[in-house]
Amino acid sequence: MATHKVCMLGDFGVGKTSLVARYVRSTFSDKYLTTVGVKVDSKEVVLADGGALKLVLWDIAGRSALDAPSANYLRGASALLLVADGTREGSLTSALKLLMQSRSSLPDAFAVLAVNKLDLVARWEVAPATLAELRRSLPVFETSALSGAGVEQAFAEIAARLHA
Amino acid sequence: MTTSGLGKALDDPPAAPAAVVAPADVAPVPDTGAPSDDFERLRELLLGGERRELAAARARITELERTQQDLPRRLPGAAVEALRSGKENARVADALSEPVAQALGSAVQKNRESIVDALFPIIGPMIRKAIAEALRGLVANLNGAIESSFTLRGLQWRLEAWRGGVPYAQVVLKHRLAYGIDHVFLIERGSGLVLRHASAPGQPPLDADAIAGMLTALGDFVDDSVGDDSGGSLDAAQVGEDLVWVEHGPRANLACFMHGVPPVELRALLEQRLEEIHAQVLAMPADTPLRAIGDNALVQDLLDPQNLLRDAGDAAAPIAARTTSRAPIVVIALLALALVGWFAVDRWRWNTRIETLRAQLVAQPGFVLGRIEAKPWRSLVVHGLLDPDAPPLAPLLDAADLGKVVPKLDATGYVSTDDAVIARRATRLLAPPPTVTLAVHERVLALGGQAPAQWIDNAAQHAAWIAGVARVESTLVAEVDGVVAARAELHRVLATLDGIVVPFVQDGEPGADAGRITDAVATTLKRATALAVVAKQHLAITVFGSNDNSGGSEANARVRAVRAQWLALALAARGFDGARTSDEAGPGAPNMRAAYVRAVVEVAP
Repeated sequence: MATHKVCMLGDFGVGKTSLVARYVRSTFSDKYLTTVGVKVDSKEVVLADGGALKLVLWDIAGRSALDAPSANYLRGASALLLVADGTREGSLTSALKLLMQSRSSLPDAFAVLAVNKLDLVARWEVAPATLAELRRSLPVFETSALSGAGVEQAFAEIAARLHA
Repeated sequence: MTTSGLGKALDDPPAAPAAVVAPADVAPVPDTGAPSDDFERLRELLLGGERRELAAARARITELERTQQDLPRRLPGAAVEALRSGKENARVADALSEPVAQALGSAVQKNRESIVDALFPIIGPMIRKAIAEALRGLVANLNGAIESSFTLRGLQWRLEAWRGGVPYAQVVLKHRLAYGIDHVFLIERGSGLVLRHASAPGQPPLDADAIAGMLTALGDFVDDSVGDDSGGSLDAAQVGEDLVWVEHGPRANLACFMHGVPPVELRALLEQRLEEIHAQVLAMPADTPLRAIGDNALVQDLLDPQNLLRDAGDAAAPIAARTTSRAPIVVIALLALALVGWFAVDRWRWNTRIETLRAQLVAQPGFVLGRIEAKPWRSLVVHGLLDPDAPPLAPLLDAADLGKVVPKLDATGYVSTDDAVIARRATRLLAPPPTVTLAVHERVLALGGQAPAQWIDNAAQHAAWIAGVARVESTLVAEVDGVVAARAELHRVLATLDGIVVPFVQDGEPGADAGRITDAVATTLKRATALAVVAKQHLAITVFGSNDNSGGSEANARVRAVRAQWLALALAARGFDGARTSDEAGPGAPNMRAAYVRAVVEVAP
């Protein structure tokens, strides 16, 4: 079974750890625990065509810009899951900034954007037009770690692209 | 403002000498009566106060300079004095802390050797003391923690310590120092993805990808945080009893998860294995992804935990691979078996004897067994009911063969109706003469034989009243007078002596049947003697010799005496020595060479 490294990138508090917990363990906790360094999990994915692969998810501590330690964590990654908080427009900017910074070391990594906290959509600062514009550059998924909406789809998109 | 004004005034030409600067200018100017006097007065008026203050300040500065010049000489003493003062101590220490620290740091940088030489005699003992304390604490902790535990592993270690005759703490340390390899990871250096993972048998499953990733991230963190340009990296990590060694290669890292204390040989072996793996990587086709190395059979073999343990050397083999002698266990088992066997046999012997005694007690007439209170080979108490006329139990108990145990009897009296006990009771109460037979069968008392008429009358009156006797059957016959009967019998017995002679061949030489005939005579005489007592008569027994017609009278008399003497001695030898001898020819003496006995019954005195 092929194994691929996927790095979660995004500003602090956008829900990277919660997305991983929802995806790997189908759990959610509204208690915020900041990630120190990195937390690694793995999940086997069965694709629609019957194929299977394993995703090794590196949940990197949230930050608005890549520093040297975080850049090291990206080495060998096959895909990036950029996470932004829909209620904080600044986090979307940070995610895109992180994407630009990671391109220097990961020019070929497949990137997906997850705009999280869909359950709080009424308080979203990110405009739908912005998302529509972003979708022209990379896959964008509106997700909720709380309800699980869009989570499977975001990771499935990564798995499908890596399997291809 | 004053200073500014003064400065402005001194800038004027008359004041150009700058009296403030030159001390000599301060001295009073002699009164010459010239215009300079006015000037001086003016100066005094304008600057008198300042000039005096200036003079005092100058004097103070001079004193301070003198004091400063004397300070190096006075400073040590002043510092000591200040440190001795309880009030000033804290202030001085606080004041000195910063410069002393800076001075020490500067000294370490500039003159490190001197500092090391100075500290060496102190640091050595401190380190030794710290190590000793740590080891003492370790041993104490191990003893305290494990001596109080009653786990199976703790008991096994205790058994091993007992078998080996070594302290328990030493065994614990030995096991703690033994090691084992739990997991081996071959990890892609850059991505942290697992290339190959192998676990020792019996290890629980784990998320190898997550662990490899975290280990790689941890290594990156350590490298970024504390690593330097020399390429320092995370080589080992320890959590509790689990230890991780990481060997770094250009393409892949090798991580080994262990427990216990592995030998240094294993570290070298891991390094060698990683080099061999990289050699395999180089041998792979250029377009082959690195992750294919995990499928290489040789690599799999190189990473097998059991192979690593084996190759690390038997001396460092884990406890699981060590074989222990089973001989002590077998000996212990045999001893335990022998002990159990001895105990079983011993208990069987006791139980057998108790059961035998129980059967005998149950069969004992006149005793009803209640219970036997027994502690094997320690004590025995027999409880029951006992008839006073029953046969004594002591012989039965003494014959039980219970070792040092002395059986005790706790009996309560009762009246038995057992035939044997009734017979003993009847015998005790009736005291029958020897000529009477007494028997009991099914509680019927049967009396028979001869007895004096008076005893028969007494028995007839009392026999039926004896406890347990249901009925009396008597066939008693009143016996005749005993004396009369004895006398009649005596005469009959003595009559048998008539005609009995002991033949002699020549002189004192007895004939062939002399011995046999003498035996019969002796028996008859004993019987007669006994009857004489009953008959209340006295017997006079005389032994005579006889002769034939040959020989002279004197010779015959001598021969008769010899023959009578022989027979008397022969009778004495057979237990009858109440006879006297005579050399005369007795009444009815036979005309033959013989000796014979004659008895005369006399009335007893």
